[in-house]
Amino acid sequence: MDIHFLLGLIPTLLSGLPLTLELTVFSLLGGGVIALLLNGLRAGSIVGARVADFYVFLFRGSPLLLQIFLIYYAPGQFSFIRHSFVWPFLREPYVCALLALMLNDAAYTSEIIRAGLRAAPRGAIEAAVVGGMSPLTRLRRVILPLAFRQALPAYGIEITGMLKSTSLASVVTLMDVTGIASAEVSQTYRAIEVFLTAAVIYLVLVTLVTYGVQRLEGWLSPTRTPLSARSAA
Amino acid sequence: MWDDLTLLGFGAMGWGHALFTAATTTVAVSACAFALGLAIGTLCAWAKLSGPAPLRRLAEVYGVVLRGIPDLLVIYLFYFGGRQVATTVAGLFGHHGPVEISGFAAGAIAIGLISGAGQTEVLRGAYQAISPGTLEAAKVGGMTRWTMFRRIIAPQALPTALPGLNNQWQSAIKESALVSVTGLVETMREVGIAAGSTELPFLFYAAGIVIYLIITSLSGLVFRTAEWRAMRSQMPARAR
Amino acid sequence: MTEAAIRLSGIHKSFGAHHVLRGIDLQARNGEVISIIGGSGSGKSTLLRCVPLLEQPDSGQIAVGDDSISLGEPGQRLTGRDRQAMRRLRSQLGFVFQNFNLWPHMTALQNVMELPLHVQKRPRAECREEAEALLERVGLTARRDAWPSQLSGGQQQRVAIARALAVRPRALLFDEPTSALDPELVGEVLTVIRALAEEGRTMVLVTHEMGFARHVSHRAIYLHDGRIEEEGPPEQVFDNPLSERCRRFVSHHLSRN
Ligand SMILES: Nc1ncnc2c1ncn2[C@@H]1O[C@H](COP(=O)(O)OP(=O)(O)OP(=O)(O)O)[C@@H](O)[C@H]1O
Ligand SMILES: [Mg+2]
Repeated sequence: MDIHFLLGLIPTLLSGLPLTLELTVFSLLGGGVIALLLNGLRAGSIVGARVADFYVFLFRGSPLLLQIFLIYYAPGQFSFIRHSFVWPFLREPYVCALLALMLNDAAYTSEIIRAGLRAAPRGAIEAAVVGGMSPLTRLRRVILPLAFRQALPAYGIEITGMLKSTSLASVVTLMDVTGIASAEVSQTYRAIEVFLTAAVIYLVLVTLVTYGVQRLEGWLSPTRTPLSARSAA
Repeated sequence: MWDDLTLLGFGAMGWGHALFTAATTTVAVSACAFALGLAIGTLCAWAKLSGPAPLRRLAEVYGVVLRGIPDLLVIYLFYFGGRQVATTVAGLFGHHGPVEISGFAAGAIAIGLISGAGQTEVLRGAYQAISPGTLEAAKVGGMTRWTMFRRIIAPQALPTALPGLNNQWQSAIKESALVSVTGLVETMREVGIAAGSTELPFLFYAAGIVIYLIITSLSGLVFRTAEWRAMRSQMPARAR
Repeated sequence: MTEAAIRLSGIHKSFGAHHVLRGIDLQARNGEVISIIGGSGSGKSTLLRCVPLLEQPDSGQIAVGDDSISLGEPGQRLTGRDRQAMRRLRSQLGFVFQNFNLWPHMTALQNVMELPLHVQKRPRAECREEAEALLERVGLTARRDAWPSQLSGGQQQRVAIARALAVRPRALLFDEPTSALDPELVGEVLTVIRALAEEGRTMVLVTHEMGFARHVSHRAIYLHDGRIEEEGPPEQVFDNPLSERCRRFVSHHLSRN
């Protein structure tokens, strides 16, 4: 294998890293907000719960790639959209890819939040009620902390999942790490070297995120030695 | 717009037939990938639980690597990388010009490897949920390892594994859409072709979503029925 | 009554640095009922589990009938011949666990039929007939199609005894068969075990039921710290032990029951 080619390849591919990270962070933020709204909707009314169910069914039951294509190509079929103020945005592959990633992430994240909120054991809530906590205090002191701990491992997997999913944005011409790698391959025909190098970049990112989440989990774990005890020792 | 719906039908002008064939291809790629993943998953779960140290290490590295790489890149690697290797090898034998490889095979292998990493964890968890005492009872009875696997381990692990295996199957279906990048005419690719040639992208991409929803929910139903039956035969007190 | 059904000699077993069995010699003659008593952690279960090689001793010899295995060093890998001997040896034993360990995906009847049918490969009709007869012996004919999860602890343990008997074992091993049971269910299981003792079966019984052990066994063994500290007829071990430690142990337990 040609070492100069590889050495040149790494900075080329890394120039797509900012876009990859940007897409990941924005889609997680947007997706998180929508996920919270979905859970609010679910708690609000039976109709709201049905709507949330359907949303989750729709986005988890079909491929993300198809969702991206639908959002990118479909509006063009309708002249009223083509003549409206949103068209300049919807024509942008960046906007479409990000929108699809957000909507998709929201479906998965809302389920993670839902499972987390159900995690508080009935006994813990009853103890809080008997102890005279107001509903708000209960939520803040008992339910949410338990939900957060419960949801963290699954959300860690969702973060790395989104990081990997951003590679699909390259299919609508975005130049993230995968997009640059594809372009490089069509010029050099050296698919194995280029894609393997790109794969290593993602692998490193995923490993870093996984490690970070595990640290956070360990730090939040109830069996952790309390800081006071540690400093005393 | 409603007139356009006939384009989805099975008539002379309709894309119904093509879409149906494409949906079949989607299911076929996913099924091959899932079966490969099941074989790999069984092997790796065994390696992780009680294999010799080098194999265990290998299974761990495989899991970490495949869960750390975007699915699209895995498919690119197998398809374009496979083509590069095939072309190089053919070049050594005097053949010039690019050699094509099967998008179906490359896609099924790539998704099978991804699925295998997930199925390993599902199967390992299901095995660990078995009460070890029931295995000791089988050992004392003089069962060989194979009899024990067939009569005691598999029937106990399967009901626990089914929900996880269902998830893996649903993922395989959705990942199969990525195989469209190889040119294989499965659902994703076919709706793209139809959207392009009719200039009705909304109609056909929406139809594509519906097709995937039908496939995922119908097969999900099959899994849940199997799960229910397996549960019923073991814990009748709870299921009835 | 002279031929030995089970012979253990020089059994040593350690878990890490913890030397749990320190040279055990024990023979069970055909038709003999032996009970093993001793404090918690004295190695009773470990000893019993060494017989079918659920634990592999570090050294020593195990023989059941004509099949025997010798072990020389800790963690020794069994040869192909050893493995065959082990399987033959196991198929001559019935083991009853503290926690029953019934197979949860099989009904009571299927549990009892499993080993004769799929290990000993006897004809199905014969296995079924015998399994039904065994369930009748333990008083569970009416529950033969029940799943383990639908049975009480006492019923599960009786199915487990029927399962152990179904392989037509040369000897039966019991590891605290009533310890996991509610007090009111202990009696029904002890009744079944007593009947087996009375029909002349070879049995080794680890138990905390001192009164019962004294009544059914021909010989009792007091285990302490991985060694046999006291051994003899039940009248000696339970009423007049030579060892002071054994005397304290027995009087403490007999007064409690
Ligand atoms: N698999 C194992 N790994 C490590 N230590 C073990 C294992 N099994 C048993 N031990 C240890 O060996 C010692 C003897 O255990 P064993 O179960 O034989 O005692 P026991 O006499 O049956 O006690 P009990 O009356 O509580 O059942 C104990 O200290 C126990 O902690
Ligand atoms: Mg014990």
